[in-house]
Amino acid sequence: MKKSILLASALFAGMFAGSSAQAAGRDYISIVGSSTVYPFSTVVAEQFGKTTNFKTPKIESTGTGGGFKLFCGGVGVEYPDISNASRAIKKSEFDTCQANGVKDIVEVKIGYDGIVFANSKKSAPLKLTRKDIFLALAKNVPDPKGGDKLVPNPYKTWKDIDPALPNEKIEVLGPPPTSGTRDAFVELTMETGATTFPFIHDMEKKDKNLFKATTQTIREDGAYIEAGENDNLIVQKLEANPHAVGIFGFSFLDQNADMIQGSIIENESPTFDNIASGKYPVSRPLFFYVKKAHVDVIPGIKEYLGEFTSEKAWGSEGYLADKGMIPMDKKERDLFAKQAKELKTLTMK
Amino acid sequence: MSGKEEILSEVTTKALHKERETVGSPFVENPRMTCREVNVYYGDKKAINNVNIDIARNEVIAMIGPSGCGKSTFLRCLNRMNDTIEGCRVTGDLRLDGMDIHDKNVDVVPLRARVGMVFQKPNPFPKSIFDNVAYGPKIHGLAQNKAELDEIVERSLKKAGLWDEVKDRLTQPGTGLSGGQQQRLCIARAIAVSPEVILMDEPCSALDPIATARIEELIAELRQHYSIVIVTHSMQQAARVSQRTAYFHLGDLIEVGMTDRVFTNPRHQLTEDYITGRFG
Amino acid sequence: MDQPEKNPTIDKVNRGLKRRYRAERRFRILGATAILTALCFLFLLFFSIVSSGYKAFEKTFIQIEVFFDPAEFTNENLAAANFPGLIKASMNSMFPEVTSRKDKKDLYYLISPGASFQLMKQVKNNPALIGQKELIWVAANDDVDMLLKGNIDRTRPESERRISDKQLGWLDTLAHDGKIKKTFNTAFFTSGDSREPELAGIWGATCGSFYTLLITLSLSFPIGVAAAVYLEEFAPKNRWTDIIEVNINNLAAVPSIVYGLLGLAVFINFFGMPRSTPLVGGLVLTLMTLPIIIIASRASLKSVPPSIREAALGIGASKMQMVAHHVLPLALPGMLTGTIIGMAHALGETAPLLMVGMVAFIVDIPHGFTDPATVLPVQIYLWADSPERAFVAKTSAAIMVLLAFLFLMNAAAVLLRKRFEIKW
Repeated sequence: MKKSILLASALFAGMFAGSSAQAAGRDYISIVGSSTVYPFSTVVAEQFGKTTNFKTPKIESTGTGGGFKLFCGGVGVEYPDISNASRAIKKSEFDTCQANGVKDIVEVKIGYDGIVFANSKKSAPLKLTRKDIFLALAKNVPDPKGGDKLVPNPYKTWKDIDPALPNEKIEVLGPPPTSGTRDAFVELTMETGATTFPFIHDMEKKDKNLFKATTQTIREDGAYIEAGENDNLIVQKLEANPHAVGIFGFSFLDQNADMIQGSIIENESPTFDNIASGKYPVSRPLFFYVKKAHVDVIPGIKEYLGEFTSEKAWGSEGYLADKGMIPMDKKERDLFAKQAKELKTLTMK
Repeated sequence: MSGKEEILSEVTTKALHKERETVGSPFVENPRMTCREVNVYYGDKKAINNVNIDIARNEVIAMIGPSGCGKSTFLRCLNRMNDTIEGCRVTGDLRLDGMDIHDKNVDVVPLRARVGMVFQKPNPFPKSIFDNVAYGPKIHGLAQNKAELDEIVERSLKKAGLWDEVKDRLTQPGTGLSGGQQQRLCIARAIAVSPEVILMDEPCSALDPIATARIEELIAELRQHYSIVIVTHSMQQAARVSQRTAYFHLGDLIEVGMTDRVFTNPRHQLTEDYITGRFG
Repeated sequence: MDQPEKNPTIDKVNRGLKRRYRAERRFRILGATAILTALCFLFLLFFSIVSSGYKAFEKTFIQIEVFFDPAEFTNENLAAANFPGLIKASMNSMFPEVTSRKDKKDLYYLISPGASFQLMKQVKNNPALIGQKELIWVAANDDVDMLLKGNIDRTRPESERRISDKQLGWLDTLAHDGKIKKTFNTAFFTSGDSREPELAGIWGATCGSFYTLLITLSLSFPIGVAAAVYLEEFAPKNRWTDIIEVNINNLAAVPSIVYGLLGLAVFINFFGMPRSTPLVGGLVLTLMTLPIIIIASRASLKSVPPSIREAALGIGASKMQMVAHHVLPLALPGMLTGTIIGMAHALGETAPLLMVGMVAFIVDIPHGFTDPATVLPVQIYLWADSPERAFVAKTSAAIMVLLAFLFLMNAAAVLLRKRFEIKW
């Protein structure tokens, strides 16, 4: 009993000594942010750790918003050095950063991610338009009988929307509202699909809030199922239920091509080349943001940037492409590689 | 003591308490312990009502009475075991060799070394026979070295009449003994710290007649060295082992006297009713 | 009484007898069904995990002949040498007929990217290799591994599998020459996390779990036992101790994520401890396991018979001596059981660690309490979320390891109880 108390107090003291020593400096890069960028930044981090004498960076998958919250917390070793994002930083986030003393931020665009609609190979591939998707998933849709008014979504099957589509119940598995994929999906498909109706298009100028509510609210009558952040789970559910459609990032389609197939959207199928060339309409840029104040404090940040922006990583033949990231074209790559090298500070008005 | 019986028998505690008197001879000359106006409360309930009694040297005094009469509660006042019971309060004057044992400055630890206790159910520690007996001397620092400790253990076990039965297996657990042996082990444990008084709370109620007889013999032997207060349910046992008997009834001490006299010629109606088996 | 053959009481008893036995039978059947159902689910769980996980304990290797070209090792720093180039060169010499750029890329794809690190390590350990030609077994890519384990169907059309027809041909050639082998996957037990399934291992997470639980154990056991002893043996019984007791029981039922939030606010934001470290994780889990240990310890203190306390007090032991010499040793087996169950609970926890940053990609094996680390269940969670198919088997394998640890801990609890339990 006495011994264990002694041991515990010694340990406790040791820990605090250790923690205070640790707080004085950190010898590894700390990265937070988007779960979409996570699979790519981890590959770079691993390569970086194994080929250099620096420690392997630590990467937390916190989601884009959560990442910025931590990143913009302040300057100092207890705050992360880099934040991954599956969208550009928002003005409000940028302002928080400024307010907390994170003045200089370097933005690096790293490539694209396609958002795919996919179903099981056991059924036929779907041919959709963004308008179809809007009509299938929005809470309120324009009255199918005509007229410029919104009615609660009456569509039960895909055939109700377009006679060319199969006579199957609408059943879509997708990410929850906390996910960056959901944000991008809403913005890239729902909004674009909605604006094909002229009166909704006009709404954007007249009543911004109503426009947002109309285009971004997803139906809650069971046709859209929030399947959690785990995209593997969605893939497994699609395999079990051939009539369901899933929404997730391209890399999961890439890895599971034997089980699921991407739906063709506006006559373009979600292939690597189509996303890279911009033909496939639902794709989004990926970024990471670097805290300039940390660059000379935490060892290896410059080298990590160098590794990430090297051709062997993000090039069209690089290892990130193998992992399913869609590279930018050469001109864009050169531009961002240059900006990263010069640590060009982001400005926002 | 027996010589004083005739004189003392006429004394009552009338002067001390108006409502109730203890019949017989509660007081002795040169007592080991004295108890005056002892009241015990459990919360609001009064469990012992104004008890006055002395405990003589080298005597066995038996406390008898129906269940719930307070005899065990009173016994536990004598070494302040009642302290461990939540909500129990003791008033009055209790003295051991003139020392007020309920005084705030009195430490219960040495008190309990002087007033040992044997419980109703044999409760040896789940340790070896040796460790059971040696525990008291160890914590009180009675032995300077191992040899002395061995000696104390042997002497205590001999006094408790257990030595011959266990001397070859001192390292075996005390809980492995038979019920009667366990109780004698507990007595050995109590006398290992050389107390002046031994309190026994129905020590034989969990034992068979043979083991009971063995313990009773032992009590008779121990009387040479100690004052023994024994609470018992068995009037026969009280008659066999004790010199004096005290009869409790609903928290009152009704009658105290020489055992022979109390059993053959009780002076109080309640005592007579109990002894003749009208209730109890 | 007058007519002994007609006893109305017995008649009444007999009439109800059947119903009573029926009720008992029903209850027994219900109980047996419940147990059976539970066993079925348990079996299903184990079956699904083991059937998908056992393959991860094997790993595919490909033999290549590497020429450690001295021309590559001109730099002082051995790590700067072009190791991937060495591997590419040896693949080229094995398949000289492959010439087009795309085909070459497909060919190199067969070998794990980890192979170059393996060569680097070998050269570092034995610089004499430079200039030599060596036959070396290197890890195959995860897709090759999956193919050889039968998880990729050869009969599918080429576009639907991650291994092309050409790659299949090369692999068949290699297999024919005896240059492919499957061995026990030691790397799985000795390496840290990786984004390449064939390189990923659980050692990093195991070390993280070890350090985290060490902190948890060394804090929560003494504190929990001390708190329980104080509350049970010394504290006065009044309204305050009642309130404390209710609160402790409540704390045991609080969702674990709440402890994560608390840990984030107190240990990281207020005390400024480093994120993602076993130190913070261990402290958070300490908060979580403390109520469990206190409750278990109090229960086992309560079960110590009062006669032992009286015996000790009766011969003049002080309260502290009574507790330390008699009550605690008797209560200890129960306390240890409670502690181990609490530890097993902590071992399987991810939610509170999410908040303190232990859900992270960490490659380096942690070597102390302040190195960034992750723990076993978090590793499982991260792998389950990875796109590469080979991680499915890894996930199940990691679950098997975690279950093995839990099994060991619970077995230890049973053993300890058996070993130290004292019968009256």
